[in-house]
Amino acid sequence: MLTKRQNLAEVMKGGNPDRFVKQYEAFSMIMNTPITRIKPQIGGEIVNEWGITIRWPEGQLGAFPVHDAEHIVIKDITKWRDYVKAPSVECSEEAWAPAIAAAKAVDRKDQYVTVFVAPGIFEMTHYLMSMEEALMAYYEEPEAMHELIDYIVEFELKLAKEFIDHLHPDAVFHHDDWGSQISSFISPDMFKEFFEPAYKKIYGYYKDNGVELIIHHSDSYAANLVPSMIEMGIDIWQGVMTTNHVPELIEQYGGKITFMGDIDSGVIDFPGWTRENIAEKVETACRRCGKLYFIPGASQGLNVSSFPGVYEATDEEIDRMTKEIF
Amino acid sequence: MTKIEEVKAKVEAGKSKLVPGLVQEALDAGNSAQDILDAMVDSMGVVGEKFSKGDIFVPEMLIAAKAMSKGVDVLKPHLAGDGSSKLGTCVIGTVAGDLHDIGKNLVSLMIESAGFDMVDLGVDVPADTFVQAIKDNKNVKLVACSGLLTSTMPAMREAVATIKASGLTGFKVIVGGAPVTPEYAEEIGADGFAPDAGTAAVKAKELATA
Repeated sequence: MLTKRQNLAEVMKGGNPDRFVKQYEAFSMIMNTPITRIKPQIGGEIVNEWGITIRWPEGQLGAFPVHDAEHIVIKDITKWRDYVKAPSVECSEEAWAPAIAAAKAVDRKDQYVTVFVAPGIFEMTHYLMSMEEALMAYYEEPEAMHELIDYIVEFELKLAKEFIDHLHPDAVFHHDDWGSQISSFISPDMFKEFFEPAYKKIYGYYKDNGVELIIHHSDSYAANLVPSMIEMGIDIWQGVMTTNHVPELIEQYGGKITFMGDIDSGVIDFPGWTRENIAEKVETACRRCGKLYFIPGASQGLNVSSFPGVYEATDEEIDRMTKEIF
Repeated sequence: MTKIEEVKAKVEAGKSKLVPGLVQEALDAGNSAQDILDAMVDSMGVVGEKFSKGDIFVPEMLIAAKAMSKGVDVLKPHLAGDGSSKLGTCVIGTVAGDLHDIGKNLVSLMIESAGFDMVDLGVDVPADTFVQAIKDNKNVKLVACSGLLTSTMPAMREAVATIKASGLTGFKVIVGGAPVTPEYAEEIGADGFAPDAGTAAVKAKELATA
């Protein structure tokens, strides 16, 4: 029997996996790094290290940046330098110790030591200035947006260096949502201009420094951005939703990139979820996407579910499909 | 190209810095404010159609709506009557328990560009607040309820049911958002459904003029 890591490698290279990869099983996420995404508790509000106010109201599935006149960080994109200050990535060795211990405890033959980065560059721009203002600024103030993106890239490269120096990760799991469920937020041309070079630098840096796998999360439609994803160096697109017609993407791009998802969290993970519904959605995904260049899994951007038991039930149903298909 | 045609082209291209000047030139050339407004509404119809087809994306739609809005600012003093829109008022909001506003804002922009006055109630709007807004505002012809989450679909059902049970009349209810299907819209008693912001503007016009 292959290890989880070997099995994933077989899936990605179009070899001979001996089972379906179960969602995030091959990635050991190191979440206790001293520099990480800061989120409020449910019902709470924080100001994060970039000065962005984030609220997580009771009863919601996630946290939201606050963009009223009082809280918005960038009040004028042409003067973004007056408002934006990247946080320091320098931390004491003591602060790194728990993450180093967690990485050491991983059997790297079995799993990839995986660092987590969120939010991504596109998300950071709209966290800082609101979605509408950011999207218009790509047209109205492109130079300023290029400068802002370069500044965020600089920060991410410093962060990457810290991760590499302290943890020697095998994989990076990087969030950045690039679309709604039916469309990318921006055109492929605009994406190519603003984001392809930025991510090429960041993902290239990780790969030049021993990181084997780049996993990028965007739980959205983004089929029109796959050529850019390949160019950036993404190995696995996690969160690929059913609206992307995943079997067609596998047919077209398999061998250059692997797709993780084809099970929309929204249709399996809700109050009153049922095993039968999960079984049906997992079976549909596994049968239509097949054994290679595909990892079945919910589109959720971490190895958890919003409602207790859904993640585990999904894993068990993937096991069932392994028995039927392999 | 006539001045009105130039206005149309620049609105469609989202040239918000050029449109006010062109609108002024179109007025100076003797065009009526209403004709210029109608031309801009037509441009936004084209923008909405292109968005629905996937030919353009959110930024292009936003800058076009902004360009039209700048043009309307120039026209306002020249428009007849109280300046209110001929299609009436649209009350819009994201249903209770749901904080997603981007989709709702896009729909609001496009419906406004089609010729409605907008009353935006924001996000997490209780069913009763929709009803109160219909009472508080003049000439409400449309109520638009948005919801992005599967888990807030019951709140959308409640909103539509409460609005319909209020006894108030003279308007239609349109719903939309990622998990909403035409079947679900019909099941909960909505009068219309739209899958995206471009279609929403077309459907809004259709419902309000039916």
